[in-house]
Amino acid sequence: MVKIEIIDGPIPFFPNDDSRQQDGAELIFNGRVRATEHGDAITALEYEQYEGMAEAELTQLAKDTCQKFSINDIFCKHRIGKVDVGETSLHIVIWSKHRQEGIDAMSWFIIELKKRVPIWKWAILGDGSRIPSECSHDY
Amino acid sequence: MKITIKCFSQVKYALGIDEFVLELEAGTMTSELEQNIRSKADGKLDGISLRIAVNQKYIPNDIELNDGDEVAFIPPVQGG
Repeated sequence: MVKIEIIDGPIPFFPNDDSRQQDGAELIFNGRVRATEHGDAITALEYEQYEGMAEAELTQLAKDTCQKFSINDIFCKHRIGKVDVGETSLHIVIWSKHRQEGIDAMSWFIIELKKRVPIWKWAILGDGSRIPSECSHDY
Repeated sequence: MKITIKCFSQVKYALGIDEFVLELEAGTMTSELEQNIRSKADGKLDGISLRIAVNQKYIPNDIELNDGDEVAFIPPVQGG
């Protein structure tokens, strides 16, 4: 099963679920906003999406990941709008029978997300100005 | 025919606009529209690769546009 959400506001993490009996591995990834972009201090990133297409691409990517790897479920929340330094912008949970396929699936999912899901970052600098982030291939 | 152009990230920065409508001749190809957009950017999109989405789907090849299409020139994405 895949579950995808794009959220304008703080991400509520997926709740713990102790009822899963076929999943020996639960992988959790949280992407957070760093205080610097290419050495320049920033106060926040502002995420911009292509509304509609971003969620559709993210959903298709999650389905592709389930087909490519032997995993049971993948849930993902991606934040848009202004995200302050230190806050979570991306939250992913993958459940699989064994750990290695979950780890491989997580890595592939994030790499592909950064290649094909139409979401972009704007860096918010200390003086409040806003410029497109140059960070585009930080796999 | 009327084509809606959606602008994001570096394209929005270069053109200074979120969205606009162009009146184009029937039979216009996506590659011709890309040239049009790059010329409007006055060099600010030079060296930036752009993928093209028509009606919210990436297109693998140059295609002919239709009246009412929504086109986005997608600069390198940066999710995560």
